Amino acid sequence: MIDERIYEQFCEIGRDLYTAGMISSHGGNISIRVGDRVIIKRRGAQLGRLKPHDLIETGLFKNDSGVALASTELLAHRTIYMRTPALAIVHCHPRAAIAFSLSRDEIVPIDNEASYLLKKVPVITEEFASGTPEMANKLADALTAYKIVMLRGHGSFAIGQTLDEAFHWSTTLEESCQIALWAKLINEPFIEYRGMSQGYTRW
Amino acid sequence: MGGWMGKILDVNLTSGEITIKPLDMEMAQQYLGGRGLGARLLWDEVGPDVDPLSERNVLIFTTGPLTGTGYQTSNRFSVSTKSPLTGTVLDANSGGYWGMQFKRTGFDGLIVRGKSPSPVYLEITPAGVHIKDASGLWGKRVRETTSLLGQNNNRRNVLCIGPAGENLSRIAAIMNDGERSLARGGPGAVMGSKNLKAIVVEGKDRPEVLDQELFKFMLYETRKLLKASPLTSQALPEFGTVVMMNIVNAVGALPTRNFRQAQFEHAEDISGETLKEKYLVKNTACWACPIGCTRVSKTDKVEGEGPEYETTWAFGAQCGINDLAAIIEANTLCNDLGMDTISAGSTIACAMELSELGLLDSDLRFGRADLLAPTLEAMAYRRDVGAELADGSLRLATKVGRPDLSMSVKGLEMPAYDPRGMQGQGLLYATSNRGACHMRGNMLGLEVLGLPKLIDRFQVQGKSSYVILHQNAAAAIDSLVICKFTNMGVAEEYFARALSAITGIKYATGDLIRVGERVWNLERLYNLREGFTRADDTLPPRLLQEAIPDGPSKGWVNHLEPMLKEYYRARGWDENGVPLRTKLEELGLSEWMEVAA
Repeated sequence: MIDERIYEQFCEIGRDLYTAGMISSHGGNISIRVGDRVIIKRRGAQLGRLKPHDLIETGLFKNDSGVALASTELLAHRTIYMRTPALAIVHCHPRAAIAFSLSRDEIVPIDNEASYLLKKVPVITEEFASGTPEMANKLADALTAYKIVMLRGHGSFAIGQTLDEAFHWSTTLEESCQIALWAKLINEPFIEYRGMSQGYTRW
Repeated sequence: MGGWMGKILDVNLTSGEITIKPLDMEMAQQYLGGRGLGARLLWDEVGPDVDPLSERNVLIFTTGPLTGTGYQTSNRFSVSTKSPLTGTVLDANSGGYWGMQFKRTGFDGLIVRGKSPSPVYLEITPAGVHIKDASGLWGKRVRETTSLLGQNNNRRNVLCIGPAGENLSRIAAIMNDGERSLARGGPGAVMGSKNLKAIVVEGKDRPEVLDQELFKFMLYETRKLLKASPLTSQALPEFGTVVMMNIVNAVGALPTRNFRQAQFEHAEDISGETLKEKYLVKNTACWACPIGCTRVSKTDKVEGEGPEYETTWAFGAQCGINDLAAIIEANTLCNDLGMDTISAGSTIACAMELSELGLLDSDLRFGRADLLAPTLEAMAYRRDVGAELADGSLRLATKVGRPDLSMSVKGLEMPAYDPRGMQGQGLLYATSNRGACHMRGNMLGLEVLGLPKLIDRFQVQGKSSYVILHQNAAAAIDSLVICKFTNMGVAEEYFARALSAITGIKYATGDLIRVGERVWNLERLYNLREGFTRADDTLPPRLLQEAIPDGPSKGWVNHLEPMLKEYYRARGWDENGVPLRTKLEELGLSEWMEVAA
């Protein structure tokens, strides 16, 4: 039985991801770790319109019948939980961030908020960018050191102690990438306003 | 070598032998320093057949790879021993200057073993390590001892015990720099049992930082975050830790009158705001600390550092006392006697309830502020009713047949958060390896302050995950060693990078948390070896059975059992709380598999 409070958290974050344009109607997935269990969105469910039966509980280390219903990214979520301190994961498809991921190996924000919160976001590449052990391992490796990473051409994976926190990193990245796009459109020389900003690339 | 000094000093007070050993670098990388290194060394040194107050127990003072580097709050150090109060593994850490200065003597750790035939103190300076006669100091209080031994914050630092430690009170603290304390679990009694009055340090060596460029960046970024957080840049500097009084009271989680209630009607009288308005003299700070939560307070009778939130609660709400001047005076006295203020206050509260019930022959009653100071004196010298209180609330309450009225876990008195109003805090207390402790994981941050994000404090499902993460993080931070208040503005990813910069060894955030998990499991094994079982992972019956009578947490008890079951599974332990083989192998602890078996 999933606590009603947990269902409410999923509904709120799922709805906000959709209304913020961070996912398509059926895209993205979110989960939390509950002890040695994982609660994750049902495969094919709409994050913006979650119903109680759209939350699937399954084992973190062991399979049970829940895996038949869980999101296709369950393997990635499990691997991340097993190898990082994450207690919540938000995977979404932020458009500007995906656009940047197509041409660079890391995204180094230029705006204040993301510089402050994220410093640098690595971009990782995987040919089969969904549901494979290779992708799961690469993601988990990167997330031992970073709280959000981009999977090239696919989307972001953010970890946190709560869904709220992982959502925060996701929206911060997308906002930062949109600002970078506008700055490119303005196309004027960048005036550095941050102290020790050279340190961000070493993050 | 970055961060570590590479040497352990070993002093045998029985034989007078002084030896210097190399630091095992593989061990250092796995356990870092502070609490972790202390637990690892203690494992080899003190087994289950050793009485904590016998000469076979040891005191292990450790710094960490961050200590003394200048990273924010890198002033801290740790002591590890077997606790005479709880019988568990024990570590306590403290700020001030002593830790930084000890590191400068060129050692990462100091093991004190044996027992001197007469009172001595230890002096560690560039001139050498000497065991000196302390017969003229024995019997003196902490302030006088510290002064007589030449305390000078940036040059020469003194750590000592007071009368409570000399008289083997099981709640005696070790004090450093005059008024800082290694407080919990009775390490002062272990020092007293060795006839060791003080340790004086003067150093000149600074730990090396291997990647200066990255380190400077980490200093810059950490400072930026600490400035940005209202908690670390405004609330703590302006009001000290007592800022929590009104906050915790407002949510109905302020234990009052020995946990009979969870809101104190006079909380405002003992709040940080009142302290600032009426008694604050000035703010001070530990070495390399930009937060500066320490304050000096003054009443008509005393002037001294503090009081901290926990102390103000222990002598205040927990005893039903709203006389802040009396609380400040009790704090100053307790520091001078060298006693843990949380355990002292909570033991007095327990005695108040027992006396009101007619089970203890004393005048102690809730609200009797006039009896605080004389009771503390009596406890430190084991006089009159104080003799009954000197070894903590559990021994006191057990003696009169009501152990249930000791608000403790594994014999260590609970701090100032009611587990009925903060469900995760209850699980934290119940599973804490040194007994009930709020510093073993920051559930206050999650359940009340919203750090990093607010979670539902009454939620039960999933709480184990938070508790485990924060226990592991706390163990890692205690092994670095830095102040946990830094963690209220700065996340572990910063500490991992600072550690990497200093040592030249790459630690990702996950690696640092994994160190904490290793330390936690080793401590668990230690307690299992001592005979502790699942039955010890519990809370006082009052918190499991008696609902909070009124206020925002009205009607709640702590729902420990489902959280505990979830906790064991999530930890990779069996249903009795014993680490599974797979978990021990994963953490590199498999050589002690037979303990778990």
